[in-house]
Amino acid sequence: MIPYLALAAILFSIGLFGVMTRRNTIGILMSLELMFNAVNINFVTFNKYVVSDGLVGQIFAIFIVVIAAAEAVVGLAIVLLIYRNWKGIDTDHFTVMKW
Amino acid sequence: MIDFSSVADNFNVIYPELALLIGAFAVLLLGTVKRFAGLCTSVAGLTALIALWLAVDQFGTQQSGFFGMVTCDAFGSAFKIIFIAIAIVTMLIAHRFMIVKQIARPEFYALVLISTFGMIVMANTTDMIVMFLGLEIMSVPLYVLAGFARRSLQSNEAGIKYFVMGAFASAFLLMGIAFVFGASATTDLRRIVADFSYIIYHSGLYMYVGIALILVGFGFKIGMVPFHAWVPDVYQGAPTPVTAFFSAGPKAAGFAVLLRLFMFGFEGVAELSSIFWVLAVLTMTAGNVLALLQDNIKRMLAYSSIAHAGYILIAFAVGGEDALSAAIFYSIAYAIFNLGAFAVVVLLETRSGCRSDFSELAGLSKASPYLCAVLALFVFALTGFPPTIGFFGKFYLFSTAVKAGFIWLAVIGVLNSFVSVYYYLRVLKVSYFDRVEQPALSVSYTPAITLVLLITAAGTLGFGLFPQKLLEFAQSAVFAFL
Amino acid sequence: MLEVDGGIVFWILSFVILVSGFMVVSLKNVFHCALALVLCLFTVAGLYILLDAEFLAAAQVLIYVGSVAILLIFEVMLTSKLADKRITQSNDQALVGFFICTLFAVAAYLLIKFNTIWYPLAKSALPSDNILTIGKYLMTEFMLPFEVVSILLVAALIGAIALARTEKS
Repeated sequence: MIPYLALAAILFSIGLFGVMTRRNTIGILMSLELMFNAVNINFVTFNKYVVSDGLVGQIFAIFIVVIAAAEAVVGLAIVLLIYRNWKGIDTDHFTVMKW
Repeated sequence: MIDFSSVADNFNVIYPELALLIGAFAVLLLGTVKRFAGLCTSVAGLTALIALWLAVDQFGTQQSGFFGMVTCDAFGSAFKIIFIAIAIVTMLIAHRFMIVKQIARPEFYALVLISTFGMIVMANTTDMIVMFLGLEIMSVPLYVLAGFARRSLQSNEAGIKYFVMGAFASAFLLMGIAFVFGASATTDLRRIVADFSYIIYHSGLYMYVGIALILVGFGFKIGMVPFHAWVPDVYQGAPTPVTAFFSAGPKAAGFAVLLRLFMFGFEGVAELSSIFWVLAVLTMTAGNVLALLQDNIKRMLAYSSIAHAGYILIAFAVGGEDALSAAIFYSIAYAIFNLGAFAVVVLLETRSGCRSDFSELAGLSKASPYLCAVLALFVFALTGFPPTIGFFGKFYLFSTAVKAGFIWLAVIGVLNSFVSVYYYLRVLKVSYFDRVEQPALSVSYTPAITLVLLITAAGTLGFGLFPQKLLEFAQSAVFAFL
Repeated sequence: MLEVDGGIVFWILSFVILVSGFMVVSLKNVFHCALALVLCLFTVAGLYILLDAEFLAAAQVLIYVGSVAILLIFEVMLTSKLADKRITQSNDQALVGFFICTLFAVAAYLLIKFNTIWYPLAKSALPSDNILTIGKYLMTEFMLPFEVVSILLVAALIGAIALARTEKS
């Protein structure tokens, strides 16, 4: 199971890297999806190797998939709104208030 | 065959939640018909009142339902009452503001109700899956509410920043829960507590990292230093009633879950006390020092909310039943006087062209002396002067710290309160003593906001003078798990 | 070290996941990033099959690849000027970010490697009838979360409409 967990950790780090470095808001959203997927790999791996009975991990993973979808919907609605008002979605624009 | 007969009995555990949901959907349906759109506020308020009544009715009973997914103990039902009360006050504050700013739409009330539902779900469970779902149901409407003033660039910016930070925090939180799940093979706190020493013995390191990641995740949510960077921008940019809601509801909900996680679930980790010691000191100091530099009232209140979160974190370092009830007491007290202060800010902002800068307060004492007096009361409570509830809350919190031997922590807390005097009293200095060329614009009261001001002022002063009732409430609201 | 369930399939899948994942965060063109994300999510679904989670794999393909990724692509097309490929996509924190993330990954790997004993110590077979078991769980023990998550979807729907709809002026 260690390679699976290591894969999840690396994927999580890649997502983290994306969130930190992306200037484009949609790019940040994509990186967040990577992070959620890394978490899901973790849950499913633990479900197979650690949980002695049941599928709690898989069910949690299903919920996370749904939650990620809901977050993506709201996030993209905000992005669309911002694009309409500002004609751009780069994070450099977001300086109406000092950061 | 699956037996469904037991399920029907479970529904009485979640009556208040159901009332909130029915209210939310009724508002949405009414909103589609132009003729009834005006009724939305009243319907939302009424259903929230019914939910409040049901929650008060529930208080004191211990119930569990839905295969242990809902554990409505005294702690949970106490927070039910708090959340619903905060939602009602928020809606009262918001009504006039939304109309003036031309963003009055029924979805606002539905989203507030659904967000409150999420908070209740969060606080009334011991299962981390349900906790996380509740957190998301609370947060998703909040992202929308932060960006609700669609034409305002500030509000858009608040929305996107809150969303990115919130989703980022969720990812950390989930990773933490995954680690804890891997170490303990369960997501139920009760089972974690039962097997704690066994878990620590076998995969302790993994468990610790999981707990740390969970702490990071919730640290973002409650605005703990060093994860506080989003707080001022979001508080300043969001529509002011929404900011009031942010500072009271989600904050209390975050603390409710943190209390359950760290004072029950992971209580066995001895190192947590010193970690919370450092976090509490950092949070209150950073919040207070940065608040000194602000020129915008909403921004100042944002930093002040960080500082107040720091005070509550003291309870985590101290631990034990007394600290728990002190934290609950302070959460309630903070919600009362902070909502009051925000109600005043909302009222001032409904004047034309106001952006809640400090300079706009000048001449307020001449233009509306009563409002200014009420503002003074809330400012005294925020600072922690007697005889307000703010004083008693701090006194209770610090005295539990001293009793448990955390003398330095209490001393740092008191010193921080002294620092905060400077920027809080600046509000009063500007509104009472600053000269103005033209007289300040007068404010127009509505019954709703007058009611809010009366209730919060009465609460601030009344519970400050006679804290006994609220104290009993906080003390009875300790965990009791089924 | 190289002994792993799934054998060579695992290594191929994880290679594709990591490469496409890195493409998502590093490519210049957002549209290409979205396509890389589709590939990445698809291979993660393959990984779920290796881990005996067939239903989750199907859900992953349907929800993530089928809707989230498509939504992202729509959004890219609505908001970005694709013709202009010279726009820089990353900010100047790349080095710091890379350092922190490498540190995180290495720490996580060491942690996983040294935490040798896991909770029940025994590996047992998962229920063979995966979908049936999940269905039973969702109707009994996880009934409340299952119902509650629908509220989340409703909230997201309302919120998205409230924010993104156009107003009649």
